[in-house]
Amino acid sequence: MPDQIAPAFRRAVLALGGAPIDSRIVRLAAELARPSKAEVVGVHVVEIDWSLPLDADIAGRSEEVQRVLDSAEAIADQMRQTLEPVLLQARDVGAALVDEATERDADLLVVGLPYRKRFGGDFAIGRTIPYVLKNAPCAVWVVREPIPEESS
Amino acid sequence: MIGGRRPIQGRKPGDRRVKVERPHSAYFRWSGPGQLTAKQAASRPASGPGRVWADTKAFLLGRPLASEEEIGERLSKRKALAIFSSDAISSSAYATEEILRALIVGGVLALALGLEVSIAIAILLVVVAISYRQICLAYPTGGGSYSVSKRNFGRGASLIAASALLIDYVMTVAVSTSSAAEQIVSAVPDLADDRVLIAVAALTLITLGNLRGIREAGNIFAVPTYLFVGSALLMIAIGVWRIVIGGEGGGYDPSIVEQTAETASGVTVLLIIRAFASGAVALTGTEAIATGVPAFKPPEARNAAATLAIMAALLGVLFIGITFLAVNFGIAHIDEPAKQTVISQVAREIYGSNTIPFFLFQAFTAILLFLAANTSFNAFPRLLAILAQDGFMPRQFALRGDRLAFSYGIIVLATVAASLIVVFGGDTHLLIPLYAVGVFIDFTISQAGMIRHWLRERTSGWQRRLAINAFGMVLTAVVAVVVTVAKAPPSFLVLVLIPVLVALMRFISRQYAGQAAELAVRDDLVIAGPQREQRVVIPVNGINRAVVQAVNFGRTIASDVRAVYVTDDADEGEQLRERWERQLPGVPLVIVESPFRAVVSPIVAYLDVLDQAWPPDKEAPITVVVLPEYVARRWWDRVLYNQVARRLKAALVGREHTVIADVPYRRDH
Repeated sequence: MPDQIAPAFRRAVLALGGAPIDSRIVRLAAELARPSKAEVVGVHVVEIDWSLPLDADIAGRSEEVQRVLDSAEAIADQMRQTLEPVLLQARDVGAALVDEATERDADLLVVGLPYRKRFGGDFAIGRTIPYVLKNAPCAVWVVREPIPEESS
Repeated sequence: MIGGRRPIQGRKPGDRRVKVERPHSAYFRWSGPGQLTAKQAASRPASGPGRVWADTKAFLLGRPLASEEEIGERLSKRKALAIFSSDAISSSAYATEEILRALIVGGVLALALGLEVSIAIAILLVVVAISYRQICLAYPTGGGSYSVSKRNFGRGASLIAASALLIDYVMTVAVSTSSAAEQIVSAVPDLADDRVLIAVAALTLITLGNLRGIREAGNIFAVPTYLFVGSALLMIAIGVWRIVIGGEGGGYDPSIVEQTAETASGVTVLLIIRAFASGAVALTGTEAIATGVPAFKPPEARNAAATLAIMAALLGVLFIGITFLAVNFGIAHIDEPAKQTVISQVAREIYGSNTIPFFLFQAFTAILLFLAANTSFNAFPRLLAILAQDGFMPRQFALRGDRLAFSYGIIVLATVAASLIVVFGGDTHLLIPLYAVGVFIDFTISQAGMIRHWLRERTSGWQRRLAINAFGMVLTAVVAVVVTVAKAPPSFLVLVLIPVLVALMRFISRQYAGQAAELAVRDDLVIAGPQREQRVVIPVNGINRAVVQAVNFGRTIASDVRAVYVTDDADEGEQLRERWERQLPGVPLVIVESPFRAVVSPIVAYLDVLDQAWPPDKEAPITVVVLPEYVARRWWDRVLYNQVARRLKAALVGREHTVIADVPYRRDH
């Protein structure tokens, strides 16, 4: 038996989409990172349509986009954990997340799985999560939003 | 990097991404639509000396805390008991002595009545504590008697209560620190000459502790309070055992009987009243918890009320216990050759002279007394902040410092208390007559307020509560009169100070109200765009980059732009005009010849002339005086430049229809 429980991760990249699940992801990562002083990177990717150049001035001007990362940073601060916010523009969110995690030599990538109430309620797995699961060079955690009580 | 966007190649050829820089993120955070929250970096001073000062403060007082961290600064019951009760509990260290000092005039027979007097005061304590417990529950926003009287009687009574409280808090600091120094001197008589120095040095340390913030203050102060309470209870238990079971303690020594026999005036009602008035100082500090309810952890009111009950019980036991031991062991105060406080003699009797337990007890007592001042350091700035929020004190008292403490209030309290200690030579007995008067005025007003509260609210059980407060009010009113008369003439100083403070607060309130009325904008108005004409006047010293920049700025805000050049050399003026018209066409240059070599006054006179020349049937225009300023690179450069601009600004401040605009020019532009 090892003397100490190994830290959950050394450097985690959190995929932040601006959904309510973001706060859950940040809290979870901050709580696990704090004891081992692990690094936490919050990444928000703005998907750029093919009709626009990739470096179009979109994300930088949007207050709403900035707020996604600022809110995450505020939650991490409350938990006394530093979160490095990263804002990206890309054609594909999944590829950008995987590339960012690879470049930063992250050993964990955390993505959120939101619950959609519309059409009877379901988890919107989309195409980003399957891409990340298939291509990420590190461990991937999918944090599922709890199903609201009235839907269960 | 283009416009803050940096392209990055991904693992696959098609997977490019662009990293977008976030220049705001170092200083601000978007916290809502259109709402930015400043981070600590944004609050950091920009100048070098400012940063050095900020770093020094952070080193001495700790890192700045954000307002949202305040909830973490709330006090648990255990810490709050130590912080808010140290004043009340510590008064047991000198209240017995004050009773015996008053009774000794009546001889040994009178001294023996010390216990009865202390029991009477303890009954008063129970009534006051029950009353204040009700205030905690009814007024959880804190402020104690000030809040109660404001709500129930309005401004006049509340300001009297606030003034009495402010005086009480200052006196608490002065009396406690002086008494603590006396305890040290009692244990180590060689330090007798350094009494004032010890008190002021300790006060400085307590001030620094409080400027660090309340949670740290709790950690610093909790341990000594509990050590004193523990060792005092142990001392009482041993003493009671020795007296009741061991049959020790035969009352006063024949030497004291002899000493007092010549001067004894006999036991009179007046003497007992004086002793009661002197011992009533034991109740000081009872109100502190009601003032500081918001500092408690939620549920604030319930926790404060519970803490108050525990505090009153502890104080009652300690006060009666110490008096019981003093009377039974025949102890009276000793002033010569070296001061020996009553409590130090009790400790000597129980723990043995010059033993480790004796010195430890004296140390705990001294520390507790120093820390009793801390009660006021929590309550005084809070009360000042509430008064400032209500417009009765300067607004800066409501501002929290880097560590969430009300720094200005803390500094004012420390300064006034230190002055009192120095002026009165750190003698507790001289300070005490000023002490209890304000406290009992305050008790009376707050309980009268509670009577009106119950009559208005009529919540369940209101009759019983009203009866408690009414009984308390009558009792404390009588004691207030007794204390004032018995401690006269020094006590009259408080009666003078209270109206002075009330007048000061009314004056400040009138100033703020007048300013608010002057600046008020009607709520139903839709503000239209500017309608008044504007003109720009630019005082110039020639043609240079700073002047050109100022002229160009002036052109952006008005069509009527003119430059003014003041000179005592007409030829020089004409040379400038030739160049000006060539290089800055469209901007008229007015040359003011000044044979008396003045610069500022001719410009002001020129503006007056411009105003007089304006058609009287038209609304006066706004004159914008644009001042070209050269920004010095180094601090010592500043003395070389912009002196005329500075004088001109001073001359124009407050001038009607005039706006001054500085246009700084930096060398690297």
